[in-house]
Amino acid sequence: MSGVRVRALTKSFGTHAVLKGIDLDVAPGEVVGLIGPNGAGKTTLMSCLLGFLHTDQGEITIDGRANDDLRIRRRTGFVPERMNFDRRATGDSFLRYMARLAGVARTETGVRVNAMLERLDIAAAAQKRLSQYSRGMLQRIGMCQALIHEPDFIFLDEPTSGLDPNGVLLVRDLITEQKARGAAVLLNSHQLAEVEKVCDRVLFLSGGVIARAETLRHADRIVIAVTMLRGSFDPAAIARVAGAEPKDNVVIASVEAEADIAEMVRELVATGAGIVDVRRHTADLEGIFRGAA
Amino acid sequence: MNLVVIEETVRRSVTSIAYVSYVALVGIISLGVSRFDKPGAAWPSLVALLAYIVGCAPIGPEFSSGTLQLILTKPVNRSVYLLSRVAGAVCAVWIATFAGFGCELIGRTLWSDASRIDIMGTALIHSLADTILICALLVFFGSFTRAYFNIAIYFVLMIGLSVSQGILAMTRAMQGALGAWLRAHNIVDRAIAAVERNLFTDAPPRLDWHWLLMVLTNAALALVAACFIFRNREVPYGAD
Repeated sequence: MSGVRVRALTKSFGTHAVLKGIDLDVAPGEVVGLIGPNGAGKTTLMSCLLGFLHTDQGEITIDGRANDDLRIRRRTGFVPERMNFDRRATGDSFLRYMARLAGVARTETGVRVNAMLERLDIAAAAQKRLSQYSRGMLQRIGMCQALIHEPDFIFLDEPTSGLDPNGVLLVRDLITEQKARGAAVLLNSHQLAEVEKVCDRVLFLSGGVIARAETLRHADRIVIAVTMLRGSFDPAAIARVAGAEPKDNVVIASVEAEADIAEMVRELVATGAGIVDVRRHTADLEGIFRGAA
Repeated sequence: MNLVVIEETVRRSVTSIAYVSYVALVGIISLGVSRFDKPGAAWPSLVALLAYIVGCAPIGPEFSSGTLQLILTKPVNRSVYLLSRVAGAVCAVWIATFAGFGCELIGRTLWSDASRIDIMGTALIHSLADTILICALLVFFGSFTRAYFNIAIYFVLMIGLSVSQGILAMTRAMQGALGAWLRAHNIVDRAIAAVERNLFTDAPPRLDWHWLLMVLTNAALALVAACFIFRNREVPYGAD
């Protein structure tokens, strides 16, 4: 499986160029965040990827096939920002329809629907009409319909919008599960904290181009930020152990596995440094957003 | 055709209280008028009204609500989806057609007037075909518009064709160059009349295979055009 691949994608509406040569890759088992200011072209990019819009130029392939290939659609899940459907349908009947459309066998539909409703914690509302659902419940059922057929390529547009903190945690867990299952996930969100928590990479879209790309989680190493007590450390000794000069009283180091973090900290303490805080280091998305917007 | 889509379309109708009430009303009225002399006169009009209501729901309104975007991420070919939605809508209307026909037949049997079955059968066949044309035209208009513009276009066109024929007749009767030109060139009248006859045709009183062929051909053409337009249509989400 080769994931989502976009090359030199351009899209205009009339004379207004919205996307100006986008290159994008989402590998299987990877979660890529798409951030950017309003009007940057995130929704247009998502629409092109899903085949809602025709591209002017460029190439979109998903697992080596065209994005509108029905074999790819069978393996695609999409959560729109606002879930719209026949509001008279119950949650259960809506999911059954979506599951059947997605190619789930009739005999399996009931089991999968019940499992998804339980997983998203809305089983109690299964027989209620969608018109009675809150925004958060609609968002949860939107997640259900996208994941019910265990897709390999998942496109999420603001999946946590309207969700309470429990819902946000649930969605975060679900995204992590999909990643662990090997799905390629593209997450479009304004909630930078969520993007930071779940994404391996983040792409900052501005003015129709990928203005910046940051790796938040490396596949082969863990980057940590160690905060030390001011005046307690020798910068040269810290640089020898961590492989990087401390900036102010923080040194950014990388280790191969979680088990190596404790060893790194022990070595830093051995140089005489007083350790105040150790945490996983990710890019400062707010800073990037402010700087690049 | 996608059976899942057809089933869902029919389900949406038959689980609607308004639909069930309307079908019941069609049945009751058909039973009531079965005591009168003219067979197959009441329910075809009621069924046509239902065809407008049920037939205008696919595609256009789904585009505006965002439902379509959700569906198009599923492994369903656009043309198959469109045709299946039309088939589902037609099935839902046909339920009312058979309810009307059946109730009138029961009534006439009860009042010992079952001999009019040939006229009723003709009305049934014509009504079934007419439903297909109405739904096909509505989905064609919906394939390039949003919301319920399809039904608006349908009625504007229907009324507009009649009105324009009247205006042309008056203009033709007038003195002057335009009146003289229209009197000399009746192609304009004929063209408008032909469009009206093809799209908004009245069912003939007797079984007319030519009429049936025309209705079904026009419906097929409308569906082919709708499929072509819909297949190439962009459907951005958050469009409205």
